[in-house]
Amino acid sequence: MTNPILITGCGVVSAIGNNKAETLDALLNNRSGVGPLVHLKTEHKEFPVGEVKMSDDEMRKRLNISDNNITTRTALMGMIALDEALKEAKITPEMIPNIGFISGTTVGGMDMSEQYYLDYVNNENHKEYIAVHDCGSCSEMTAEHFGKFAFITTLSTACSSAANAIILGANMIRCGEADIVVVGGSECITKFHLNGFNSLMILDTQWCRPFDATRAGLNLGEGAAYLVLETEESAKRRGVKAQAILSGYGNACDAFHQTASSPDGEGAFRAMKEALELADIQPDKIDYINAHGTGTPNNDASESTAVKRLFGENVPPMSSTKQFTGHTTSASGSIEAVFCILALQNGFVPVNLNWSQPMEDGIVPVHQSVKKELKHVLCNAFGFGGNDSSLLISKPEL
Amino acid sequence: MDELIYTLKQQIIEALNLEDMKPEDIDENASLFGEGLGLDSIDALELIVMMEKNYGIKLQDPAKGKEIFKSVAVMADFIAKNRTK
Amino acid sequence: MMKKDIYVLSAKQISMQQPLCEDWMTQPVEYQTPFNRSIDPSFKDYISPIEARRMGKILKRAIATSKEAIKASGLDSVDAIITGTGYGCIENTEFFLDALSKDGEQMLSPTYFMQSTHNTISSLVAIQTKNHGYNVTYAHKGISFDSALQDAVLQMRLGKINSALIGGHDELTETFYRILKKGGMMGQDDEMCGEAAVSVVLGTNNDDYLCKLVNFKMLHKPTLEKLKAVAKDFQADYILTGISGNHKSDKAYFAETKELFGDAKLLKYKHIFGESFTSSGIGVYVAAQCLKAGKIPAHLFVNPSEISDKKPSKILIFNHSDGNNYSLTLLEA
Repeated sequence: MTNPILITGCGVVSAIGNNKAETLDALLNNRSGVGPLVHLKTEHKEFPVGEVKMSDDEMRKRLNISDNNITTRTALMGMIALDEALKEAKITPEMIPNIGFISGTTVGGMDMSEQYYLDYVNNENHKEYIAVHDCGSCSEMTAEHFGKFAFITTLSTACSSAANAIILGANMIRCGEADIVVVGGSECITKFHLNGFNSLMILDTQWCRPFDATRAGLNLGEGAAYLVLETEESAKRRGVKAQAILSGYGNACDAFHQTASSPDGEGAFRAMKEALELADIQPDKIDYINAHGTGTPNNDASESTAVKRLFGENVPPMSSTKQFTGHTTSASGSIEAVFCILALQNGFVPVNLNWSQPMEDGIVPVHQSVKKELKHVLCNAFGFGGNDSSLLISKPEL
Repeated sequence: MDELIYTLKQQIIEALNLEDMKPEDIDENASLFGEGLGLDSIDALELIVMMEKNYGIKLQDPAKGKEIFKSVAVMADFIAKNRTK
Repeated sequence: MMKKDIYVLSAKQISMQQPLCEDWMTQPVEYQTPFNRSIDPSFKDYISPIEARRMGKILKRAIATSKEAIKASGLDSVDAIITGTGYGCIENTEFFLDALSKDGEQMLSPTYFMQSTHNTISSLVAIQTKNHGYNVTYAHKGISFDSALQDAVLQMRLGKINSALIGGHDELTETFYRILKKGGMMGQDDEMCGEAAVSVVLGTNNDDYLCKLVNFKMLHKPTLEKLKAVAKDFQADYILTGISGNHKSDKAYFAETKELFGDAKLLKYKHIFGESFTSSGIGVYVAAQCLKAGKIPAHLFVNPSEISDKKPSKILIFNHSDGNNYSLTLLEA
């Protein structure tokens, strides 16, 4: 890419922290946020999850939203993360009408719909929540808390939604459609997809073990993260510095199965390769890969194969951070992008927690704390249906 | 056992939405997966749900499904031995 | 926005009108009922029985229209598959939600869940056409299809792709129609609701095409001033509006088009295709077919006194979804 795309601000909320500072502390101290279910009202208490440590009421209070307003959990988490990102990038309310907002989600307002569905069908109760069920309305609810953005759209590609939102934002900037676009995603845990994943028998009743021989499934998580993408010229004009650079990205389709990844990891391989090519960076320059690494037998095997195909004998340090947060599904691409930015800024490799046994033909992840100067990192996000994306994030040149 | 096999075929057709098939079309000794009916991993999960719903058998490990769902006859045998409904 | 020649190579639909053909131009199927499901073709030619058994209507329609559109485009394959859906796979979402609400959290069907996610449509089309290219799904109510179109245009401008299959897919069950009507999302006043499955192939090659895609823009809650400034680059003799029978929305269409496009002739399509979240995709299909045919059917004219069989040179598809999200798509013969 000829003109660099700067990341001038970011915000994150997940099971390991309600902002970047708390998140960094947890990552550096190997402190996972996965544990028993607290907020979601479900029969399935047997599954460890990475819930955000705030109730909806607490988030409303934080955001100064009165109880009379209709909100959904996904939108609330989104607002908290968006708030942090806008502040870091020094974006004022007056600037909002010239800025785009692109968000990724799959559940949207399902946390409400699943509670009120029978009311929707049978009576007039709670009908005000019908209009906030869909993904787009969720993005608008999140955005409108801050003003009227110039354009808003929503991506929904399951676990790569936020990563693809970042890609669209970058393409819009490169085409001159905007100088600044805020991109990312948000997703709360719902009974709908907790049960959905359970019906696919890919949830683990134990703490997940990505890339471990004994891995048996994923733990669900929730959270939100947004990045402010900006042209160099705009950042200079505004006097804001880059937190990181989005150097490259790739999106490819596995085209294998609706819920399983291919044995040869074709989609993942192509997405990563495209990211490197766009950045014009050779594989040996990658200092760290933040894996999709869900801890399912299928993903970790497929992703290992794809990585080995691309990097050969020289696989860079690699880890999954889903043992920290759980699998935050649609938001994972942006949440983990923020983890990569924190890693670049603070010179460390996030540990692949809860690992002890190498898997057959798998990558051996970084399982002990490593301090290392990082310049270029890859961040993978692979969605159900083979929607595979990869982001290449770099440290700004001094 | 014959009655169970026939009922099982009907339930498989329903659970897997094999619209154009009748119980007579399914050979109880033919393999269900791979070459036989050509079912896949999602179908295996649906059969696990069906077994729990109709016979009260809860299968925790999806990998065990491969052995149990070899054919309708094998399935019927397993169900006869393990059903709680 | 456009600095590269982009063509609409083909466009196919399954809707309230006769499927996969343009019979609606001369013999439109007329409807009076407020809620209508699509007229489906036989899907046997597109999907094997063993695959079809799991698929709800939205998925079958997506595959059929996609395969037909790719065939009609003359291309062997497309570089990208980009889909827009406002509400995703409603049938399967309903099955799963129903079971969850009535029977609880045990013994739920993985198939219903798997087929309920929004991106299952785009992913299935890729699996069926063995396509590893860029693949993304947009889910933003009435600008879902438009968002997908925009994505393709951006990537063509960047030289990343030379062709794309753009899908607009939404389905509607009776239950969801009642829910959405209750929630004020659709079915207000005289609005007739339907389903839309439309596949459009865009390309940068101009060997054989339906029309040219000249310009495209999307806006969120724009001021009138902003709209006027943008509209300068979107002037056309014919404006294909989303007039649907929703009184508030229709009034706004009349006011806005007068303000932005002066005396341009107004057209409508939702009176025969119905309103759905991706009906703007149907709008693009309708305009493209009119430009190719060199005529606009009389029944599309809002004002009967303006009916003309003059060959149209430019048609603008003007969509103001829920009054907040605007899209302008300018097509040229």
